[in-house]
Amino acid sequence: MLLKTTKTALLKGIDQVLSTYQVAALTKQDSRVLYNYVKTSHDIFWGCRPTVLPPKKFFFPPHETLLDYTADGQIIAKIESKPLVLFGIHPCDLRGIQILDEAFADLHGDPNYLERREKAIIIGLDCHQTCDQDSFCYKVGAHYAKTGYDIMLYPLKDDQYLVEVATDRGNVFAEQFLRAIKGEEKELEEYQQAKAKAFESLKPFKDLEKFPELFQENTHHPVWEHEGARCLSCGSCVMVCPTCYCFNVTDDWELNMRAGKRQRHWDACMLHDFTTVATGENFRPTATARLHHRINRKFNYLMKKHGQSVCVGCGRCVRACLADISPKTIAEAINGEDEKEWN
Amino acid sequence: MELALVQSNAKLYLPEPARIVKVRNFTEHEKFFQIELLRKGSLGHDPGQFVEVSILGIGEAPISIASPPDSGNRFDLCARAVGDVTKKLFTFKKNDLIYIRGPFGHGFDDKIFQRMRGKHLLFIAGGIGYFPLRSLINQVIPNAKNYKKISILYGCKTSQDRMFPDELKKIHHLSVGSNVELLETLDHPEADWTGNVGVITTLIPKIDFDPAETIAIIVGPPIMYKFVLTSLMDKHMPKENIYMSLERRMKCGVGKCGHCQMEGVYVCQKGPVFNYADVEHNEELF
Repeated sequence: MLLKTTKTALLKGIDQVLSTYQVAALTKQDSRVLYNYVKTSHDIFWGCRPTVLPPKKFFFPPHETLLDYTADGQIIAKIESKPLVLFGIHPCDLRGIQILDEAFADLHGDPNYLERREKAIIIGLDCHQTCDQDSFCYKVGAHYAKTGYDIMLYPLKDDQYLVEVATDRGNVFAEQFLRAIKGEEKELEEYQQAKAKAFESLKPFKDLEKFPELFQENTHHPVWEHEGARCLSCGSCVMVCPTCYCFNVTDDWELNMRAGKRQRHWDACMLHDFTTVATGENFRPTATARLHHRINRKFNYLMKKHGQSVCVGCGRCVRACLADISPKTIAEAINGEDEKEWN
Repeated sequence: MELALVQSNAKLYLPEPARIVKVRNFTEHEKFFQIELLRKGSLGHDPGQFVEVSILGIGEAPISIASPPDSGNRFDLCARAVGDVTKKLFTFKKNDLIYIRGPFGHGFDDKIFQRMRGKHLLFIAGGIGYFPLRSLINQVIPNAKNYKKISILYGCKTSQDRMFPDELKKIHHLSVGSNVELLETLDHPEADWTGNVGVITTLIPKIDFDPAETIAIIVGPPIMYKFVLTSLMDKHMPKENIYMSLERRMKCGVGKCGHCQMEGVYVCQKGPVFNYADVEHNEELF
């Protein structure tokens, strides 16, 4: 279903939503843009700017309690979840959410992630240009959102928006909170044509669909050592990645020793001891091997599984990396797009 | 896409209580624990699978199941005290409670049992690699008639490091006039040792086997695999006739946390029991 509305109507709608739901959206804090809970619709930042952390934190928080237990052996599986509206999610992050949805529902359904996800309504906001020089969403086709949203907004001129309602849930939500008129398919077509034109010169990776095979064949390409030698193994790239979901699990007693918690925390395959076992063996002891692993998760191992690039080209890891390592540089070396001599 | 999407599992991270019903010391660092779930049900595992053992306030650790599936409501765990959980576990006595999730992973399933039937089984165990292998060895020995022959090669550093010495003795006795044989070797033997001396691969030439009719099953320390595989390849053993159990760091046991992923393979899902032909090109596994 296609509708059309104005920014004023959207703002009003969000203020209404806030009486029943928590709303998280892009917000501006000093010079940075962050996903955060908003108190009123005026807290929302409407521009096209990359956030420091991706929205995965709302479904897969940096720290969470999995179990609460007492010393006498009462154990309760714990899930903290509240109805949430995620507003203004850009296409790269929608792709990231879709991949996490699949990862957490694959084989064994992760109860904590899936319950939070189930209670969320996602409202996307399309981008008609790249956000900065570090983003490369167009290289992996993630500047278009195909799925992963309940409602998608396409910005038109004069603060007007086309509203694509994609799910039943989105429909109920739009009926309840959004004042809108019928949208014309023709307007969406015109919007898409203008967007295609804006991205015309920005081409996808050469041979993107063959990346799993190309990366498999190029395990010993010199780019790995070249980039790996500079890697500081700080794990920042993992923390800011919308599709990294590794975690560690720890137990903590309260000081009175009568109760404790089992918690999970974001972990990073780029950290030195990620694969170290109790006997001291480390199965991925070098920064080069760890960089190879992480980038192969994006363009090979998990790409095979998800049927699309697991790197969404948001550029967050590029901005966070102190050594200027970029998946784009590596991919362009592997597919020969850069025509550079790496030896 | 290779995804198998499923509904949320509310009990995915919730362990169940179990009682330690027997404890036995092997060495200062290795112990045997017999476990019974409080619900008095069977664990329902395949040989080669593992459980996540929880100690509240300390954490979880993946530990191989050391007993065959048909051991009633009890199952055996053997551990070396090296990490936080195993060190704490070593202070536990009979009747103490631990918590269990699992069984997890891919073990010796019906498909592998079908393949093993009528074949010569060649077990190659190094050190405490005997623990996970025991779940299969103790399953096949009572049914030895189903197999052409069962050869067990077992290598340890010293005679103190031989696990289940009483069971080894029984297998030695059994081997007279049967199709079961046990060959042992020690790296650093004491003066009274009359058996073979040297690393595990020195036993392989002593076994008479037809590679096409033999299934080899290997478990040992990480360093051992490369050498054993080379010896078997020299004997022209088909790769698909080799199974091995490869353990890695595991936190969740259910293919999420990422710690055990070696190249594209989650060891806790596709393993710990692998067919060599499936993973021979996985450089991170070897």
